[in-house]
Amino acid sequence: MIGFILKRLAWMAITLWVVFTASFFLMRAVPGGPLDQERALAPEIEQNLKQRYHLDEPIYRQYLRELGNVARLDLGYSFRLADFRVGEIIAQGFPISASLGIVALGFALSLGLVAGIVSAVRRQTLIDFSLMLLATVGIALPNFVIAGIMIILFVFLVPVFPAAGWGTLRHLILPGFCLGAPFAAYVARLTRTGMLDVLSQDYIRTAYAKGLATRTVILRHALKGAMLPVVSFLGPAIAGILTGSLVVEQIFAIPGLGAHFIQAATGRDYTLAMGLVLIYTTLLYTMNMLVDISYTYLDPRVKLE
Amino acid sequence: MHLGGEMLLEVENLKVQFKTDDGLVRAVDGVSFAVAPGETLGIVGESGSGKSVTNLAVMGLVPQPPGRVVDGKARFHGDDLLRMGRRQLAAIRGHRIAMIFQDPMTSLNPFLTVAQQMTEVTRLHLRHSHREALRHAIEMLDRVGIPSPDHRVFDYPHQLSGGMRQRVMIAMALACKPEVLIADEPTTALDVTIQAQILELMKKLQQEEGTAVILITHDLGVIAGTCRRVVVMYAGRFVEEAPCEELFRRPQHPYTLGLLQSIPRLDEAAGTALTPIEGQPPDLIHLPPGCAFRPRCRFAVEQCARRRPPLEGEAGHRKACFVDVV
Ligand SMILES: Nc1ncnc2c1ncn2[C@@H]1O[C@H](COP(=O)(O)OP(=O)(O)OP(=O)(O)O)[C@@H](O)[C@H]1O
Ligand SMILES: [Mg+2]
Repeated sequence: MIGFILKRLAWMAITLWVVFTASFFLMRAVPGGPLDQERALAPEIEQNLKQRYHLDEPIYRQYLRELGNVARLDLGYSFRLADFRVGEIIAQGFPISASLGIVALGFALSLGLVAGIVSAVRRQTLIDFSLMLLATVGIALPNFVIAGIMIILFVFLVPVFPAAGWGTLRHLILPGFCLGAPFAAYVARLTRTGMLDVLSQDYIRTAYAKGLATRTVILRHALKGAMLPVVSFLGPAIAGILTGSLVVEQIFAIPGLGAHFIQAATGRDYTLAMGLVLIYTTLLYTMNMLVDISYTYLDPRVKLE
Repeated sequence: MHLGGEMLLEVENLKVQFKTDDGLVRAVDGVSFAVAPGETLGIVGESGSGKSVTNLAVMGLVPQPPGRVVDGKARFHGDDLLRMGRRQLAAIRGHRIAMIFQDPMTSLNPFLTVAQQMTEVTRLHLRHSHREALRHAIEMLDRVGIPSPDHRVFDYPHQLSGGMRQRVMIAMALACKPEVLIADEPTTALDVTIQAQILELMKKLQQEEGTAVILITHDLGVIAGTCRRVVVMYAGRFVEEAPCEELFRRPQHPYTLGLLQSIPRLDEAAGTALTPIEGQPPDLIHLPPGCAFRPRCRFAVEQCARRRPPLEGEAGHRKACFVDVV
């Protein structure tokens, strides 16, 4: 186990370096730079700024300098939000996006698993068809439509939740649901498929032949196997969900990371964009590692490498 | 047929159908049989003849949909299993009627240890505590010949060989001392030496416990050493029923005759050609009127195409055929 984790961490370092290098050069390859603004800067000011951000150096020097900084976990100053270090921006936004993400994940898992299991057990019935229709709608509808519906229902018609803002758990429920809904739909479909697959296995028939109740057969004998596809989906899904969503955060006025992703890219904020890309990669990698580890707990036949 | 008070399980006119895209499959079409306490009944027939479905129906395990038990009774101590409530049936399954399946590789749950799978049966039916159940499981594993059972009990199925897994299945099935054990091709997936061991083991345990066994197989060799009575199944129906030696000595149905001629015999001179049964297995969706075996039968007479021969005969040896083949 320790060996597996160390190996994975080594790979993660290599991956991060590749991602860093690719992002570094790609960002500088697209036209436009962080100092481009509607009004041209005075030449000497521009020169000063370039010096401050080392943009006047040859590109390989810039690359090595930045690589060195990043390796020391120093992401530097943001170009656009010049008073802030990238580390500070992320440290401020990430916990907010992550809490929203955790609530969303709670919705996705609880709704998705229950709907998937019920659908599979009651397959080919009205319940199954309705739930799967709902899941298709959940995947097809864009976030902002779901958000609109939720706001009409729970802010205007039955005012139980605040329309927007940040601070208490109540502020998290509506945006969490909107963010989690498409994931819930995916989880429901994966659970249903996985469950149907497992329920047709011989060992399920054995379990019924032993006189076990349906509930025991489902929860004890079938659920673990049915969860495997859901767990592999959850790795990347969690990484995405924790790093925030532009749409949901904008609609509900939540100061998370979501907006930064877009602004950093459009504003050619090299340092902030790099920081976000690296955070996302790290998260993705960690989640996939956790998925692999949890596989060995779910399925005794799986060994870590 | 000897229906009477001493019968443990009496199945009467059982009919099971499957709705498929190609049409209605009459998998089991009116079979009747009975099992007395402690006896072994063999059911033989080629693949697809309905042996498994017959017994799954008795246990209420036919997948519905697509399957449906359309008619019949299965009386266990007088109560009809086919009309029993779910709870009542669950209390009998695995407790008083247990089942062993064909493929030990897929019939055990790969996600649970042997201990978890074995103890849940006795905890449920015999109200064992966790410790009692574990002790009992180890004892059962020991009885079915698993070496160092106190360690093996914590193994997962994938850590055991095929023969070991089938022993676990047997131990699990016998854990509550069932009155009836349905063994659906318990040795088909195993190699020959293991087959013999498993059959021997089942025979021994059956004699010790007085369990009635329904042994399903497509291998007449398996029947020969183990059963008292045999029924031969073809296209969802019984075509012959006889005491075991009787069936081997004087088969009365052309299909049985064909089955016997298609297995090698020791008392024949080496080089004697085997005669497989000619023709295709029957299509259960488009069965011909009259006898289902007629298209493959070399004794067929004109009557066979018109009327379905009933299963009849004297003193425990009955056949469903118009012709006297002896
Ligand atoms: N789930 C199902 N759906 C559709 N048809 C089925 C299903 N299960 C069984 N059948 C049909 O019922 C018939 C009898 O099947 P059954 O499994 O009882 O045969 P069997 O005698 O046990 O054969 P084998 O020796 O191969 O186990 C087969 O023709 C099969 O196609
Ligand atoms: Mg079968």
